[in-house]
Amino acid sequence: MSVQNVILKLQEFWAERGCVIASGYDIEVGAGTMSPDTFFRVLGKKPWQVAYWQPSRRPDDGRYGQNPNRVQKHNQFQVILKPVPADGQLLFLDSLIYLGVDIRIHDIKFDDDNWASPSLGAWGVGWQVMCDGLEISQFTYFQQAGGIELNPNSLEITYGIERLAGFLDNKSSLYELDWGNRVSYAQLRLEEERQFSVYNFELADIDMLRSLFQQYQKEAEKLLDRSLYLPAYDYVLKCSHAFNILDARKAISVAERTALMGIMRNLAARIAQKYVQQTEGEDHG
Amino acid sequence: MADLLFELGIEEIPAPAVAGIRDQLRELFLARLAQDHVAHGGIECAATNRRLLIHVLGMPEKTASKEETVLGPAKRIALDERGLPTVALKKFCEFQGVKLTDVVEIETPKGKYLGITKVGGGRDAAELLTAAIPAILAALTFPKTMVWNESRVPFIRPLKNILALFGNRPLNVEYAGVRSGNRSPGHLLLSDAFFEVNSFKDYFEGLGRNFIILREEERKSKILAEIREIEEELECRVPCAGEMLDYYLYSNEYPVVFSGSFDAKYLALPTEIITAFMTHEKKLLPVYDGAGKLTNHFVGVANIPDENRKVSRGNEKVVQAAFEDAQFFWDQDRKEDFYALKGLLKNVMFQKELGTYFEKVERLAALVDFVINETRQDAMRSQLHKAAFHCKNDLLTKMVREFPSLQGIMGGLYLQAAGEDPLVWKAIYGHYKPKGLAEEKLDDLGAGILSIADRMDNIAGFVGKGIKISSSKDPYGIRRDANAIIKIIIDFQLPLDLAPLIRMAALHFAKNDADLEQNCKTIRELLAARLENYLKDYRKLRYDVVNAVMGQDTMAVVDKYLKAQAVATLVETGMAEPLAALHRRLKNICGENERCNFSEDALKEKEEKILFDVFKESKPRIDGLILKKNFTQASSEILEMKPIIDAFFEKIHVMDKNVTLRKNRIALLQRIDELLSAVADFSLLVETKPGGKT
Repeated sequence: MSVQNVILKLQEFWAERGCVIASGYDIEVGAGTMSPDTFFRVLGKKPWQVAYWQPSRRPDDGRYGQNPNRVQKHNQFQVILKPVPADGQLLFLDSLIYLGVDIRIHDIKFDDDNWASPSLGAWGVGWQVMCDGLEISQFTYFQQAGGIELNPNSLEITYGIERLAGFLDNKSSLYELDWGNRVSYAQLRLEEERQFSVYNFELADIDMLRSLFQQYQKEAEKLLDRSLYLPAYDYVLKCSHAFNILDARKAISVAERTALMGIMRNLAARIAQKYVQQTEGEDHG
Repeated sequence: MADLLFELGIEEIPAPAVAGIRDQLRELFLARLAQDHVAHGGIECAATNRRLLIHVLGMPEKTASKEETVLGPAKRIALDERGLPTVALKKFCEFQGVKLTDVVEIETPKGKYLGITKVGGGRDAAELLTAAIPAILAALTFPKTMVWNESRVPFIRPLKNILALFGNRPLNVEYAGVRSGNRSPGHLLLSDAFFEVNSFKDYFEGLGRNFIILREEERKSKILAEIREIEEELECRVPCAGEMLDYYLYSNEYPVVFSGSFDAKYLALPTEIITAFMTHEKKLLPVYDGAGKLTNHFVGVANIPDENRKVSRGNEKVVQAAFEDAQFFWDQDRKEDFYALKGLLKNVMFQKELGTYFEKVERLAALVDFVINETRQDAMRSQLHKAAFHCKNDLLTKMVREFPSLQGIMGGLYLQAAGEDPLVWKAIYGHYKPKGLAEEKLDDLGAGILSIADRMDNIAGFVGKGIKISSSKDPYGIRRDANAIIKIIIDFQLPLDLAPLIRMAALHFAKNDADLEQNCKTIRELLAARLENYLKDYRKLRYDVVNAVMGQDTMAVVDKYLKAQAVATLVETGMAEPLAALHRRLKNICGENERCNFSEDALKEKEEKILFDVFKESKPRIDGLILKKNFTQASSEILEMKPIIDAFFEKIHVMDKNVTLRKNRIALLQRIDELLSAVADFSLLVETKPGGKT
């Protein structure tokens, strides 16, 4: 099955089960969790079902296009179900069946793996889902976001699109994958991996990124003071990506790491509080 | 009579937690049944990662009824002079929920009391169980909890199903928003979500039909038997025990062993890397040939039959990809200047408040130096210095960042690849070992010395930071570090007194002098406790034998070990008994007295003069034996003095009215006591015959 078919099928499956099919966010994020469609909507009381395809950037995972499994930008398919459905595991298995996985001949395991994002003040409990030893998904019950206890909790299912496609198509390198209509993954993405690996590891301007981080931070603070939590959050995401590139450049010392993470966590917490204040206000009005 | 069938269906419990939760559940049931006076014929329990079963056998439908007396206040307190009830009696009635007229007079050995008799028991077991189950579940504790539904009840993972049958009738219980019903979860992949259960027969048949092997022993023997088949087929060896076996046992309800292979070119990678990738990352077992060499095969355990070899093919691809990654890390890391990584350790935090790894390795070099001096290993000095400085560099390598369990090992391998002196790389390679007391002796003394330094620095740091450990809490593994120090010293018979080393390590972390003294004391006690544990639990020495050598306030570990061995030998050879009698006698007299001055001129009687002559003649020889750590011989030479000492006691009145004579005699006995105590406090031996309790 091609990459685009995996995405299309997952969209179909989850749309039929009541999810809004949203777009991936248009700012660099490390994971689908960081999109406002997850970060904000898991807060507060309102039910929310969403599914979206999110390209996710992890500069440190770049391999110059030479590793068959690792890339600095991979694709996630993110599903949020709030409140947690009674039969989440079965729904998930159904989605695999829908993709064409015969679960009676493949060893699918829910393997203990809790998730945490210290910079977003978020954590959850759950598993990595293994299929014949390959991690194809994360399955997480969110407990906290922006430092706020979640009630109701959300179930997050994150599919690794390349992993799933590679499994379904029996390919051993992601570059051999068929993206769709006879365009290969390599044709579409290989050059990007090469160039961004060089940039992330070798050329990214450390001083510029440090200064950008500070400017983004200031902007987020200014916006927060005006209660504009949505654009403020955008600037936290920008901080986070600048941080990740600095990290790939090995430019962050211990003390700095703690400090920068603290800045982002603080902002995320204040943003989450603003959001909750405003939406809870709406509930009462 | 009826049985209880109680099963919790839970989404995948992390494998390492399963057995503990099962045992807790069993204990809680046993305690509750005892508390409710419910008789039973035992409890069986079993667990997989998706279900916990409690089966209570042979309970009566009603608990036994019996009359019981509840004593109230004494009669003279319960009634006033006019025979009217006092406040004390009224309160008693109120508390018991009875009327004044229910109260009767009860004769007791202590006098007349007022009280009531009531009929207890006779309660419906089903009702008791219905009330008990939610309380039992609420009492379970977990390493980490979560909430997932409106009940907001914390549990380890979502509770999905409760099956509770008492004598084949359903019990109506609810916990964490889940109501009990007549169903049990099927196998995740091979059966329907649930199967119906209306009787014990249904349950056990249903498990079989739905590919669930409930009993741990059955799963274990299935796994081990299938591994054995593969061993025979491939003429190889596949060790499977400990953590990996437990992981398989508690990750599969229907375990099936499969095997696969990978491109032999990856065997060029260091064995340590291959096995670490396979076990930690992929949960697969390495396969060795007859000569113990790693082969390009692996073995794993799936939760389903692998008739189409889909599972093994899939795992083969995953393993191949993992080794591709390993190859990448190994190649990339070797391109870097390993020694230069030391400078970057300034950016790596050892622990909050304890500084960076750069600071740590500087401290380690000083500690290693100290150990080298003490143990007279000057020939290794420059190499071990170098090893200390670079032993944490590998924390910055790609490989260790990806696989923390390879720390130390990778540093060693990278330096070996760079052509470093074996004394240097081997010390780094082994300095996180030993992981446990049962491990074999380290091959390399340098690694042992570096390990002692590193672990002593860990302990001093955490103690300085105020971390307390208890029997259940030791988040930083302080106890493990202390165990390793003891083990290394004894394994290598290092002449190392820990007290000064402790002080040196603690100096870096103390806020002031008082703090330093306190920390040193804490660390000494910690290490003494680990030594005691080592001797008793690991070396299986009798507790009183160990107590006899633990008392002396020195941290010379090897001496204490050898002394304990010597005392054990003396017990075996029957010499401990007279020594213990002698030592007790000496202690009785010397114990309460301050150390007295001795003067040969003050000796008066023949027996005391003879005793002193013998003592004077033997002492240098015995001191020499003690110095050579020949504690058995030293003790037996002391024992040779016993007839002379006995004669002394028979003829000499120690507690003479004459103070000078008295004190001089006590002084002489004190000298003998000191000599004996230099080996052990034999007076603490409880059982001087061989055997006895350990």
